[in-house]
Amino acid sequence: MRSVRIALAAVLGASLLSAVSLSTAGAASSTQLATCKSTITSQEFKKGTLTVATDNPVYTPWFVDNKPSNGKGYESALVYEIAKVLGVSKSNVKWVSVPFDSSYTPGKKSFDFDINEISSTAERAKVVTFSQSYYDVDQSLVALKTNKIVTNHSPAELKTYQYGDQIGTTGLAYINKYIKPTKAARVYSTLDQAVAALQSGQIDAIAVDTPTGEYMAMAQIVDKNNKMLATQVGQFPSVGEHYGLLFEKNNPLAACINVAISTLRTNGTLSALTKKWLGIYTSVPALKP
Amino acid sequence: MSHDASANALETPTLFVPRRKQLFTGRRAIVASVFSSLLILGAIVAIFYVAPGGASVRYFFFNPQQMWESFTGNPAKGLSSVGAGIFTNIWMFCVCEVMVLLFGLLIAWVRMTTSAVLFPFRVLSTMYTDLFRGIPILLVIFMVGFGLPALGLGFISSQSPAVYGCISLTITYSAYVAEVFRAGINSVPNGQLLAARSLGLSSSATMKRVILPQAVRTVIPPLLNDFISMQKDTALVSTLGAIEATRAAQIYASTEFNFSGYVVASILFLLLTIPMTRFTDRLIAKDRVKRLAATR
Amino acid sequence: MSDVVLDLKSVTKRFDDNEVLRGVSLQLHRHEVVCLIGASGSGKSTLLRCANMLETIDGGDISLFGQSLSDPRIDPDLVRRNIGMVFQSYNLFPHLSVLENILLGPVFALKRKRSDVVDEAMTLLARIGLSERANEFPDRLSGGQQQRVAIVRSLAMQPALLLLDEVTSALDPTLIGEVLDLLRDLAHSGTTMLIATHEMGFAKDVANQVVYLDKGVLVEQGTPEQIFSNPQHEATRKFLERA
Ligand SMILES: Nc1ncnc2c1ncn2[C@@H]1O[C@H](COP(=O)(O)OP(=O)(O)OP(=O)(O)O)[C@@H](O)[C@H]1O
Ligand SMILES: [Mg+2]
Repeated sequence: MRSVRIALAAVLGASLLSAVSLSTAGAASSTQLATCKSTITSQEFKKGTLTVATDNPVYTPWFVDNKPSNGKGYESALVYEIAKVLGVSKSNVKWVSVPFDSSYTPGKKSFDFDINEISSTAERAKVVTFSQSYYDVDQSLVALKTNKIVTNHSPAELKTYQYGDQIGTTGLAYINKYIKPTKAARVYSTLDQAVAALQSGQIDAIAVDTPTGEYMAMAQIVDKNNKMLATQVGQFPSVGEHYGLLFEKNNPLAACINVAISTLRTNGTLSALTKKWLGIYTSVPALKP
Repeated sequence: MSHDASANALETPTLFVPRRKQLFTGRRAIVASVFSSLLILGAIVAIFYVAPGGASVRYFFFNPQQMWESFTGNPAKGLSSVGAGIFTNIWMFCVCEVMVLLFGLLIAWVRMTTSAVLFPFRVLSTMYTDLFRGIPILLVIFMVGFGLPALGLGFISSQSPAVYGCISLTITYSAYVAEVFRAGINSVPNGQLLAARSLGLSSSATMKRVILPQAVRTVIPPLLNDFISMQKDTALVSTLGAIEATRAAQIYASTEFNFSGYVVASILFLLLTIPMTRFTDRLIAKDRVKRLAATR
Repeated sequence: MSDVVLDLKSVTKRFDDNEVLRGVSLQLHRHEVVCLIGASGSGKSTLLRCANMLETIDGGDISLFGQSLSDPRIDPDLVRRNIGMVFQSYNLFPHLSVLENILLGPVFALKRKRSDVVDEAMTLLARIGLSERANEFPDRLSGGQQQRVAIVRSLAMQPALLLLDEVTSALDPTLIGEVLDLLRDLAHSGTTMLIATHEMGFAKDVANQVVYLDKGVLVEQGTPEQIFSNPQHEATRKFLERA
């Protein structure tokens, strides 16, 4: 079924790919969308499903309660909005759990796309295909309220702290690329382990995207009376980083999804989702690396 | 004409290798072995070229440019060096091997004492070996690496991940090595113990002067085996945040979406373990020769 | 001071349900050689091992120089330092040279200075004609040579009593002579010895007393003449006929 789908989509997608590319994504016309819809409803997903991958565990505010299928959280809600635009029913959206590291291994993928706050970069795009941005990312620092970094964070001072982060995150890349600390940042397999290390004082701060950082500070790192123990030290200026959906290299489906994302951006759904799931977060002080 | 079953055969028996097997004797055997080695090697390499996904696998695992970049690291891209990471593994297993030797021996010794005073220690060390050979090492690493710092005990709680990794490896591998020692000690004939004790040597002097020196011979091959596996397990401390070779390779993989760094890390580990395995095999072979000589 | 070295009083020893020694009483005087004879399994080895506390006894009492070995204040290591023991299977230490085998006890049990002991050890080796082999490893020696080294190893401890457990049983018949000669030599120089043996001729030769054990019971004891020429018991006579 998959190969049929790919083959058919490749024929139809060839014209789409030229029409809809990352750069022209903002201006999706209704005719393009109609073509895409018919591709999917008549040929592709009639018999099949939209198979979406993400890691386990997943984190608020991108997902809620570690349950991608509940439609809650920015990324979960986004997937169901995309499905709606493409005419895929809610019950035909299937979630699979795929560790980040196996999401980019070569060969046939067991999902249509992976949504897991994956930053789209040129290096990565050599082996996979990314959708256009569905969220523009800024990195921020989270630390315990008692840590020196909360008050002392000039660019020179920032270099002196012990950082830690989850493997493969752009937060980690940001630390090494822009902060360039004197002590090598520690690298954990999951974000939870990095948080555990933060709480036990093994590391001074974690770099994460602003929404994740806000959630950590406000809801995750609390004592038993829900008193906040951590704080968001501040947010770094944008370096043009953005999250994209990850597809198997040259999967023609990417073109259709790009149309859907453009549609959602134009009709205001994206900003509504941002406001609903990420908007509770107040503005964060600015930091300089 | 029928022969008596016990009569000797009348024909002269043939003593040559049959023709069809002559390929495997003398000079031809060398040629045959070189040829078959090349054939098998060629077949393996060919798989990477013939398979439909061969090109992408070659790019993904064996890209020379990416291998070099992962080996040296690239600070501008935030990439750690696999080549630098291996030194974390090296110092870790150097330290761990010494600690495991001492601690493992202590446990084995306690388990084998007979004194009544040491009874509770005997029970404890038996429980210890049972427990830590049964618990997955990763769990021990988590308990030590996240548990000890959380205790807030000053010095104990403020060590680097590599130190906690060493503690975990020592805890687990000592349990294995203690059993290796015990088996070695048990392999020394009882007469040796009797002879030493009847000379009036104390039990510790007997252990030190008579039993252990003989046990060492039986112990070395399985001991080195455990050490080789411990060398590889130093990679597990990456879960505590330490950046050793495999973690540097993983960072490379997740940043560049390319596994060549893992191949580099594997090669570095092989460079460490192969001399050790060769050394072990030579020791075993030498010991065999010695033992054969002794049974003359 | 009495000259009783070893004194066994109604010693019993059991391995689970198997009664191996049943009320054995035996005295060994200074400069005396006592030979233990008896069928295989009669308890000879067990008796020797009880005497130097390698086994614990279940009943009766053993004393060495008038001191009961059942006394809790007794240090088994001190007892063993005063008693030499030689085994059927030599039990030389294969990882040590001949000389080191001999030095081990004096240096690490008696804590004597190594340089003092080396001369004594070399003298002992000279006595058995093996001075040149001092630095070789035991597995290079013949069985007879190994057993003589084992005997000399015990002597280096200058024991008050020597226990020998069938020291020729593992040897090739051609090699037995050299070991027995050494033991004769020791007997003549007044070494106190308790010897378990199957060599009747040798027992007749050197023993002051011969003791016949049968299934853990001391059946008969006497001078070699009494035992070998005029045994009082039926069992002894039968055993000697077979031997
Ligand atoms: N450690 C032991 N545990 C159980 N039984 C034993 C042990 N040692 C000896 N025995 C038993 O005690 C009995 C006497 O054994 P012992 O070795 O004293 O006999 P022996 O007279 O020396 O015989 P041999 O002439 O064959 O050496 C035998 O039945 C033997 O099986
Ligand atoms: Mg015996």
